[in-house]
Amino acid sequence: MSSSIIRNSQHNIGFICTGQQCDAGLGDKLAMRWISPRFERQDFTFSELDRFSNKFANILQSVGVGAGEVIFTFLPKSTEQFFAFLGSLKTECITGTLFSNFGEDALLDRLGDSKARLVVTRKSLYRKIERIRDQLPHLKTVILTDVAEHSANDVLSWKKLMDEASEEFTTPCTAPDTPSVLHYTSGSTGKPKGVLHRHGSILHQNRTTREVLGLLPDDLFWCTADQGWVTGTSYGIIGPWSQGVTQIHFAGGYSAHGWFELLQNEGVTVWYTAPTALRMLMREEQSLFREFDLSQLRCIFSVGEPLNPEVISWGRETLEKDIFDTWFQTETGGIMIANHPGLPIRSGSMGIPVSGIEPAILDDDGTILADDMHGNLCIREGWDSMYITYLNNDTAYSSKFNKGWYHTGDMAWRDKDGYYWFLGRSDDVINTSGHLVSPFEVESALLELPEIVESGVIGAPDELLFEKVVAFVNFHPDVEFTPEMELNIRLHIANRLSSVAIPQEVIQVESVPKNKSGKIMRRVLKARYLGLDAGDISTLEE
Amino acid sequence: MTNLNELEPIFRKVFDDDSILLQRETSSDDIEEWDSLTHMNLVVALELSFKIKFALGELQKLRNVGEMLDLINRKLGK
Repeated sequence: MSSSIIRNSQHNIGFICTGQQCDAGLGDKLAMRWISPRFERQDFTFSELDRFSNKFANILQSVGVGAGEVIFTFLPKSTEQFFAFLGSLKTECITGTLFSNFGEDALLDRLGDSKARLVVTRKSLYRKIERIRDQLPHLKTVILTDVAEHSANDVLSWKKLMDEASEEFTTPCTAPDTPSVLHYTSGSTGKPKGVLHRHGSILHQNRTTREVLGLLPDDLFWCTADQGWVTGTSYGIIGPWSQGVTQIHFAGGYSAHGWFELLQNEGVTVWYTAPTALRMLMREEQSLFREFDLSQLRCIFSVGEPLNPEVISWGRETLEKDIFDTWFQTETGGIMIANHPGLPIRSGSMGIPVSGIEPAILDDDGTILADDMHGNLCIREGWDSMYITYLNNDTAYSSKFNKGWYHTGDMAWRDKDGYYWFLGRSDDVINTSGHLVSPFEVESALLELPEIVESGVIGAPDELLFEKVVAFVNFHPDVEFTPEMELNIRLHIANRLSSVAIPQEVIQVESVPKNKSGKIMRRVLKARYLGLDAGDISTLEE
Repeated sequence: MTNLNELEPIFRKVFDDDSILLQRETSSDDIEEWDSLTHMNLVVALELSFKIKFALGELQKLRNVGEMLDLINRKLGK
């Protein structure tokens, strides 16, 4: 598909977001205003973005990491994230981003499976990698962003390397199918899977940035998503910068007052955030919002979990703004279904398909269902930002496609006017604050604790998080379930997996229901938790 | 009176980081793992350690560890 952003067949994401913007005369334009947690500001033009990412590209070449090899950033929100991401893409390395709250198990799964060659991180986070480094034979180099000097031959200083690196780099002409970005995602069984994208994804990310988010050249865009999340790369980096749009990035956490000060004082025109954040704002003292003038803010978009109608009503009443829900997945690489300005919002709906995307509701046999019927949400394969494989797991990848349709794992229905409505997951994956958590991974981590005999984990509805992690735990007979034990469990999950996987409730049980082949019957646990009929339990092991 | 030396091992355990050195000015911006979810772990750990209870949102208003320490000491009646 042709696109105005492709020049001379160059599909390289890193180049299009930087060098190409400079070539178009935007070199001196502000690309990123970086705002620290203490609200200190640092500005970067497109020219600086280009030069700093060139430097990182040269660093990769100097340490012998090349095209097709995997590098990761493991950073809290920081400027280095962006230079490393764009620079590594310029070299045609595969670039992964890791949440800074990942624990050792989560890191080992991802760095090990991908055979990562290099990680950019901070000293305080590196200690997690150090503990597992002997299990990562392919990891040759670690770059620390907050040390002045190299501390070993393979533990290098970002600053020193950047000071010495050339800012000239010639990006190879990159074909659209060249692998680009890697995000790991959790399933209901097995280890997390590496969702691999391609440079050609930029066509869809750019198109949706224009057609859904409606970004214009003079806009100031703020995407609150962490770069560990696909939204943080597709729309916190690629989409806006491929369009030459200025972004702010804020390194601090949630703060209603701080966020609204940014929206007002920076003059943000388009804001992309998450339902959990919006629901947290709804819980604030509402008079707070009257202090701020948001007249420059044109649109608010949301992604990650379904946006409940109450939030849309709150946006209209309190902020006098519409909030537009968008839907996509790590695998889709970009927005597939959306509400957007110009389209009447149907509160609670996912919206309508974006241009070039053909969804359908299919039954389990692959037959397309009529309007109003509940079924599997599928997308006709072949869109520009469609992932190209699960790294090292072609079987799992193939299982997601049938007769030309990608099966999203979401259940939905379509109304007669073409709006799609989310119903839930067809598997056990938990969506908590927009993060997918694998119950299998949490159950496995729980079993690492010597006090626990068996465990079952489910997602339960939650007003703030959309779903919360609930753990059912069977302890050894001599173990007492105390508040200290519960804290122990919470800390263990936070430190081994991630803070998003922490069980919000731990429930002691005498046994975890399993079927005759030993599979945990999570639907039975969920039904019991919700006080519902468990349905067919004929396969339940007595 | 509870002091920073008593808080330090709790922080190190909660955030799994033996290198944490607390100062009164230390805040969530200084500890990578301190987010809204691990904050709940910290709350529970402090409650269990000092046998106190925090009201909903009481800790959210605090700007740094020093203010947290002051609150704990007030609750302990010291």
